[in-house]
Amino acid sequence: MSSVLCPEIPASGFSFENCRRNTLLETKGFAVPKATKTGTTIVGITYKDGVILGADTRATEDTTVADKNCEKIHYLAPNMYCCGAGTAADTEMTTQMISSQLELHKLYTNRVCRVATANQMLKQYLFRYQGYIGAALILGGVDVDGPHLYQIYPHGSSDQLPYVTMGSGSLAAMAVFEAGWKRDLEEEDGIKLVRDAIAAGVFNDLGSGSNIDVCIIRKGSTDL
Amino acid sequence: MVAMKGENCVSIAADRRFGIQAQTIATDFQKIFQMGPHLYVGLPGLATDTQTVMEKLRFRKNLYELKENRMMSPKVFSAMLSNMLYEKRFGPFFVEPVVAGLDPKTHEPFICNMDLIGCINLPNDFVVGGTASAQLYGMCEALWEPNLGPDDLFETTSQALLNAFDRDAISGWGATVYIIEKDKVTIRNLKTRMD
Amino acid sequence: MSTERYSFSLTTFSPSGKLVQIEYALAAVAAGAPSVGIKASNGVVIATENKHKSILYDEHSVHKVEMITKHIGMIYSGMGPDYRLLVKQARKMAQQYYLVYQEPIPTVQLVQRVAAVMQEYTQSGGVRPFGVSLLICGWDNDRPYLFQCDPSGRISLGRQPPWARITLTGRRFWKRDLELDDAVHTAILTLKKVLRGK
Repeated sequence: MSSVLCPEIPASGFSFENCRRNTLLETKGFAVPKATKTGTTIVGITYKDGVILGADTRATEDTTVADKNCEKIHYLAPNMYCCGAGTAADTEMTTQMISSQLELHKLYTNRVCRVATANQMLKQYLFRYQGYIGAALILGGVDVDGPHLYQIYPHGSSDQLPYVTMGSGSLAAMAVFEAGWKRDLEEEDGIKLVRDAIAAGVFNDLGSGSNIDVCIIRKGSTDL
Repeated sequence: MVAMKGENCVSIAADRRFGIQAQTIATDFQKIFQMGPHLYVGLPGLATDTQTVMEKLRFRKNLYELKENRMMSPKVFSAMLSNMLYEKRFGPFFVEPVVAGLDPKTHEPFICNMDLIGCINLPNDFVVGGTASAQLYGMCEALWEPNLGPDDLFETTSQALLNAFDRDAISGWGATVYIIEKDKVTIRNLKTRMD
Repeated sequence: MSTERYSFSLTTFSPSGKLVQIEYALAAVAAGAPSVGIKASNGVVIATENKHKSILYDEHSVHKVEMITKHIGMIYSGMGPDYRLLVKQARKMAQQYYLVYQEPIPTVQLVQRVAAVMQEYTQSGGVRPFGVSLLICGWDNDRPYLFQCDPSGRISLGRQPPWARITLTGRRFWKRDLELDDAVHTAILTLKKVLRGK
């Protein structure tokens, strides 16, 4: 409702009013400040009764560690969480926005949101911006159809897989999964596998570091 | 630009130089602005954006306080600033804001910084921003310790800032330090090397 | 009729200073099912009649009490379709507030924003006012709140009497410092009394 009479709610969406000025400044030799990147290892696996997500906690600005303990596992809905890699502000804001849309969806439908719905919302949003929103996401959750795990690329493509890794430390982490993942893992073994995968990222990738966050989503309960 | 947390107090400090690349234009430029009795924001970066963002923020904050008839807490202020910066995701303002303040109700210390597109960073020790940030990280890591009182916090903040920007060619030319406590705010202008 | 001469456009006052369309809207509210809201010392109750036009209705498909956020609820008397639009708007406004400030919207703020929408429909061209009165309740700073919102966009804060379009009947049952359980009881009693009198 934005109209002349009711202007409280500002126009939504991005504003491009500084773009021309900024390109000019850049050509004149102004050193543009860099945005914070997560430079991350994020992983997710499915196990017997749900999904386990894992992330390191380092945020980098170029080679400087900007945040030693940042949270990369974002809340989407009570039964859904999302790990984010890429431009830190993009992952944060995108997940906040989708979380808000899911809340509205839940209120309209009076049902627990499906993970597929969140996946579709995220990929359509990212595709609309053609990869300029630098958010690489791992979406995990449990709904009426059981556990689901998706990986979503910044350009808007997505895969549904039993175990996924993303971010700069994804190769190291995937090596651990390829060696250790089995169908119907126990929760304890699952947590250990995720921890090992993130640790592999932390030690082998310079963009990842600090601590390890783990999030377990079961049917009806979540532990962070 | 640096902000630190202490015991029931916070500090925020910045240099006073305004220059075009290596040429210094003024040595009394203000980068830290008061947004409330216990709320300060530092906006290092492109000088025109420092002032534009400050005016936009003051507008939004005043409107919020009139509409809701209550003070804006530093947490809400940062969320609003972050939202404002992210709106300009594809044509950002060139500022790296630092927010320091005490909660208007609980008087709990709050500090945070964000990048130019509004990614908030909420540590519980110190935050830095601007051109000398690499040097400041080093100084703060070495000097900061938990539960500093207002006087110690002032000393720590000043020493960290001064020694950091002496190693940065395009920072310096005087400094201002704000110590924010529950019942008073102390502002001190430091004499520094003027080169 | 002389009044009808001034009811062709909403933006026209009648010579006596009335906006008759708004009074018609209030008539639409009066024609709807009664609803009641009671603020107790430790909570707030909103209730309405849950009677359907036909027994063929699935009672689970009718939603009169709606959640706006985790801490705000809404109920209405009047026209259902108009209410749905306001619920949708209110939810969006609440989410937008949260995204900007990372803090749940205070009930007062939500009520003011909903009222602004309702007011806009009394002053814009090509639209009619909403045929609903709303009761909006919520929790802020460990305190319950209850508001009423009219088609004109008027807001009133519930304090002394239980708010409803049936204030008179309700007042007879209401006592100061009601507990939540008693408030629920009073709400049901009030609705019963009103429905029997109909």
